[in-house]
Amino acid sequence: MKHLMLWAMAGIFFASAATADEPSIGELMRKIEALEEREQERQARIDRLEAELAAERDRQEREPRREREPATTPAPSSMVGTGPQRDPLDPVPARQRAAPAATGEVTSGTAFNPAISVILDTTYAHFSSEVEEPPGFDFGHGHGHGHGHGGHGHGISEGFNLREAEITFTGTIDPYFDMMVMASVTSSDIELEEAFITTRALPAGLQVKAGKFLSDVGYINKQHIHDWFFVDQPWMRELMFGDEGLSEVGVQLSWLAPTTTYTRFGIEVLEGNSAGIANFEGGGRHEMVTVLPGANNEPQRNRWRADKNLRDRDGPRLFTGFVKWAPDLGFDHAIQLGAFGGYGRVWQNEAGHSSGRLETWDGNSEFIGGDFVYKYSRGGVMGHGNFVLQAEYVYRRIDAEYQSRQFTDFSTLTLTGPANDPDIRNQNWRQDAFYTQGVYGFAPRWNAGLRIDGVGLTNRAFDDGRDTLGRRGMLDDLGASWRYSGQITYAPTEFSRLRGQISYNDYDDGHSAWQFMLQFNMSLGVHGAHAF
Amino acid sequence: MKKLLFSLFLGLLAFQAAAEVRVVATVPNMGMLARAIGGDAVQVTVLAPPDRDAHYLEARPSMMAALRRADLLVAVGAELEVGWLPAALQGAHNPRVRPGRSGYFEGAAQVSLIQVGGAADRALGDVHPAGNPHYYFDPLRMAEVGHALARRLGEFDPANADRFEANAERFAERAREEVERWRSQADGAPGAVFYHKDADYLTELLDVPLLGYLEPLPGIPPTARHLRELVSTLRGREGVIIHADFQPAEGAEFLARELGWTAQQFPNQVAIDGDKGDYFALVQRWVEAFTN
Repeated sequence: MKHLMLWAMAGIFFASAATADEPSIGELMRKIEALEEREQERQARIDRLEAELAAERDRQEREPRREREPATTPAPSSMVGTGPQRDPLDPVPARQRAAPAATGEVTSGTAFNPAISVILDTTYAHFSSEVEEPPGFDFGHGHGHGHGHGGHGHGISEGFNLREAEITFTGTIDPYFDMMVMASVTSSDIELEEAFITTRALPAGLQVKAGKFLSDVGYINKQHIHDWFFVDQPWMRELMFGDEGLSEVGVQLSWLAPTTTYTRFGIEVLEGNSAGIANFEGGGRHEMVTVLPGANNEPQRNRWRADKNLRDRDGPRLFTGFVKWAPDLGFDHAIQLGAFGGYGRVWQNEAGHSSGRLETWDGNSEFIGGDFVYKYSRGGVMGHGNFVLQAEYVYRRIDAEYQSRQFTDFSTLTLTGPANDPDIRNQNWRQDAFYTQGVYGFAPRWNAGLRIDGVGLTNRAFDDGRDTLGRRGMLDDLGASWRYSGQITYAPTEFSRLRGQISYNDYDDGHSAWQFMLQFNMSLGVHGAHAF
Repeated sequence: MKKLLFSLFLGLLAFQAAAEVRVVATVPNMGMLARAIGGDAVQVTVLAPPDRDAHYLEARPSMMAALRRADLLVAVGAELEVGWLPAALQGAHNPRVRPGRSGYFEGAAQVSLIQVGGAADRALGDVHPAGNPHYYFDPLRMAEVGHALARRLGEFDPANADRFEANAERFAERAREEVERWRSQADGAPGAVFYHKDADYLTELLDVPLLGYLEPLPGIPPTARHLRELVSTLRGREGVIIHADFQPAEGAEFLARELGWTAQQFPNQVAIDGDKGDYFALVQRWVEAFTN
């Protein structure tokens, strides 16, 4: 190769030397031809410029009173090739193109301020009897302590409820990043529901999202209250992941394949705090304060403190992946199919009792699922005739080591149970959940929908300890709980909606409850376009 | 081996140079313009069907897939597509066609708009403070957009730049001729009521009196009260009622009955693969309806 290049260079040198010495007739002829060509090009250019000038004059005559802003007269031809040095961060040179405003958009958004929207959500609810967690799904929820995320949740309580005012800021940081911050404000609390950046300029169909965000697993997980077709979220989102779905701090990398059918792959590396799938308690000491009679029967305050024996793993503790595929079915129909899964390397829980007993669970988790959405758009007025059918399924396994310990003095926790078979053993759970819902726009501005929630179709809890008869391995096989919901929505415009919903909860333990709910959800300001 | 690679590389370069510019147009009228200017040097995909109101679409995965592979996005702009295009762009993972890049072309940024600077107050309906985005009913403005588009396409395919410019000039010539003809044709037209502010550019261009809208406010469907008001103000006058095929007919029919006018319904976008001829024929139908 080196030889070849040397020879080529030598050839070029000699060739140029030769022509420099003595131009041949052919060489001269070629030069003349080239000059003629250039002259022709120049003439064509002059013609073109004259035509442009005429068009411009014509246009100005036609609308002499109209002001012409500089932004509307682009001069991109002079920009070509005159940009600054190529930026390694910027494979598609943004800076070079930034100058002519003609690539911009005409918008009413205020110059540099982010787009701001406020969405207010208020409910009224009445229940026929207590609404509870379905059997088998009360852990990670029911032990109302030590989770460190006493968030507002999206649960609905009876009576009037200001669920939240959702304040969203969105905007572009620089040519490379967009940002979105969404705060959920309730009467007692402010919480960042989402706060993340996404890349704008990565090549090859890649995009990175980082910060606190709703995971892209499944379909409904990423949606906010405003996007739901029902007053409440499906059990699946709430019970398998957490009150606010799978909402985590972390990083997502996704890739959109350059294919004619939409195919998107993504992986997420997440901190791991979600109650349903990555509950985290962390290491540290368990503390308890009691007041006991002292030596002279006076009340004496005692502090009990001992190591919890839980692993203190730093994040990331949760890893997920997803793929979404959507064939092109024309303008009226759209289908999206998804598959997803995740692994939580830490799943922990603890329950302290006033007797001085501490129960702990320490293990890991996994989930896998699929989602389906079909949308029909009839093109009627205000959603008339549109139809949406969606369904999702998630299966979850949790394997953990269970310990039951008791304070034997102020600083020692000792395993309970007989000495030859103490209360330390493996426990695991196999559970699943699904929902399916259909919503139809039966008139302009009106839609109605039905939803079926099923959880615990698989609902097994296994403990490898001994039961009261001394048999090893206890299996608790619970049944499924069901919820049937119907809603009707009136949306005067795309910015406002009023909704009524009735749900019937049919729990595995024989308990049942009716729920009656009213909701208004109003959106003020510049709210971003909705993703599919 | 190295020679082989080199010739492969050269071949790739040649292939790239010969490849068509992949244009994605938001609505059929913009797709028409891209084809009229680009000819067979462009390959045009249209995101929205002609029989839909481009204000109220939903970002679909197939839009994202099309934008992912696009070299140039040709939009109407002025926030007409604000309900779905930003989401489609966000999901498309293609930085080249984002606003601000050379792959983003918005017609509204190339021409002067009317009705600019209204109050940004949604109590007034679905308003467009940045200006009325329905300029595609003005062939002269479309011709201006065409010239700008020719220059932009020329950046992607310099070898064909002259051809694009010639095509744009041909389009502009045709537009001037047609408008000249329509002006005399529409001379003395009594005026028209429309459903939405989507023909305002055309009435301004041809000096046809604009008598009102069936919508009480932009984006709000006709109400009985508003229609009665229209009837009482327009009674005794001459005029026609014209609305697009995706806009409901009830209000128009009521008004026509009450006033003794004719109500007519036409597409306001060319067919999905419509060409220049279809576009001028389309506008011509609206013009003819003014004097019908």
